Amino acid sequence: MKNNIEFISELIKLRLSHIMTFRLGFFGPFFINTSYFLVQLFAFEAIYGHIDNIQGWDHGEILIFIGTFSLIDSINMVICFFGVISIPEKIQTGDLDLYLTKPVNPLLRITFEKVNPGAIPLLLFSTCIIGYGVIENGMCLSYANVIGYLVMVFLMTILFYDMELLLRCFAFFVFSVNNLIKIEETAMDLCMKIPGIAFYGIYKFIFYCILPYGMIATLPTQVLTGTLSAKGLIFGTAIVCIFTCIALSFWTYGVHTYESASS
Amino acid sequence: MKKYLEIAKAYMKAQLIWRSDTFVDAVLAVAKILFAWLLWSILFEGKEQIAGLGFQSMISYYMISFYLFQLEKSAEISQQMTGMLRNGTFSKYMVIPVQTQGYFVAMEAGKIAFSAGIGFFTTVLWFYLFRIPFVFIADLKILLCGIAMVILGLLFMALFNYFLGILTLKFEEISTFLMIKDNFCAFVTGAVIPLALLPEGLTAGMRFLPFYYVTYLPSMLFIGKCEDEAIMGLFVLSVWCIVFLVLNQATYEHYRIKYDGAGI
Repeated sequence: MKNNIEFISELIKLRLSHIMTFRLGFFGPFFINTSYFLVQLFAFEAIYGHIDNIQGWDHGEILIFIGTFSLIDSINMVICFFGVISIPEKIQTGDLDLYLTKPVNPLLRITFEKVNPGAIPLLLFSTCIIGYGVIENGMCLSYANVIGYLVMVFLMTILFYDMELLLRCFAFFVFSVNNLIKIEETAMDLCMKIPGIAFYGIYKFIFYCILPYGMIATLPTQVLTGTLSAKGLIFGTAIVCIFTCIALSFWTYGVHTYESASS
Repeated sequence: MKKYLEIAKAYMKAQLIWRSDTFVDAVLAVAKILFAWLLWSILFEGKEQIAGLGFQSMISYYMISFYLFQLEKSAEISQQMTGMLRNGTFSKYMVIPVQTQGYFVAMEAGKIAFSAGIGFFTTVLWFYLFRIPFVFIADLKILLCGIAMVILGLLFMALFNYFLGILTLKFEEISTFLMIKDNFCAFVTGAVIPLALLPEGLTAGMRFLPFYYVTYLPSMLFIGKCEDEAIMGLFVLSVWCIVFLVLNQATYEHYRIKYDGAGI
């Protein structure tokens, strides 16, 4: 454990010195994410400006929802996004060999080797949106709610990572995962606009159990507003554990079947 | 003109290499349709209309705007140009006896011609298979105006992206800017949400910009809305196209001397 922490710390130091060489590259993700975030915010305001509430959630709760989604996305962007998205290319080109032959966990290295602090300001924007939502909702937050919310954000960040990893691991078995990624983008785009509580029937099953993007910002919002039941909490935690196991097993299985660039 | 037709034909044929991608794109359109259906069926709960659009009109708008958005692939022009100008391979366009602007527009036209047919066929197929109640205009004049606007809109986007590509000669690294541009373009063209949902003051200002007429207005015309804006739209878009035709020529002539063939 101690070795892994030292290793991650060294990776982050190396990465920081690397990206400071290319200043625009350092701030690039910030500007790109901010523009994406603003577009989503405008779209959200335009849609919900015509709607009073959605399944009992009013404007304040929806703001917390969109702020939470953005917060989890930003955490992912800062820590592991750029590393994980490079997995398919590494598999196709055979670069993964370099990771497998080193005496460290290859997934650990891939996850933390492309940390990007350029998205940190987005964390602040997201927090402001959440704060605005809390004020608009006139909520009185207790310590339990805030701590529960932070724990749930942590769990959902892991789930977000699991989904990202799981889809990219298909690159071990197929030539291109571009179309799978398009599905991921479409599903995320939808789940960023609609809180999970609004899904029903088969859609609820799909967006809670198969592509669980529907719960990523919904559960933390429910914890913060104190509307999440114990059953919901257990269900959310179980889904995170199940998807983490599936993602790690799929990665391990993929690595075992990997035959360098010829695979 | 014949040279440009040949270029368009060559690129249209080249698209056949990526036919499986085109096919998968068409299939993935189903996911978009289903998701739009789901989003708006939830938001329309207990409501007859949102921003003057009924549920059926909204779904039809999404189907058409998604089709038009998929057609518009001109972002590739600026990305391709910036890559080639930076690595020094742009020279191949400078030595052939055609105008580079014309070459890229013809290239885009060839690509669009291929995907337009397949996209149209699959969109109609999804409408039929999913029994989506399609709202469509019956007035032939407005329909022709809409088609003309789509063509002008695609031309404008090709010219606009060519202009951004040329800017690589001045600013050297513009890929971050291009990604930001893509994010905003998706919004201001009405591909993310119908612009009718925005405040009236904002849409009034957007009518002077060309992006309003690229996806949003043609889609609205095809579902029988905003008919009174059709002629004005064609005029504004034509003016923007002319402005960019001239601007591109002048900018290219001004900056091309900065290119030394060895990359930036």
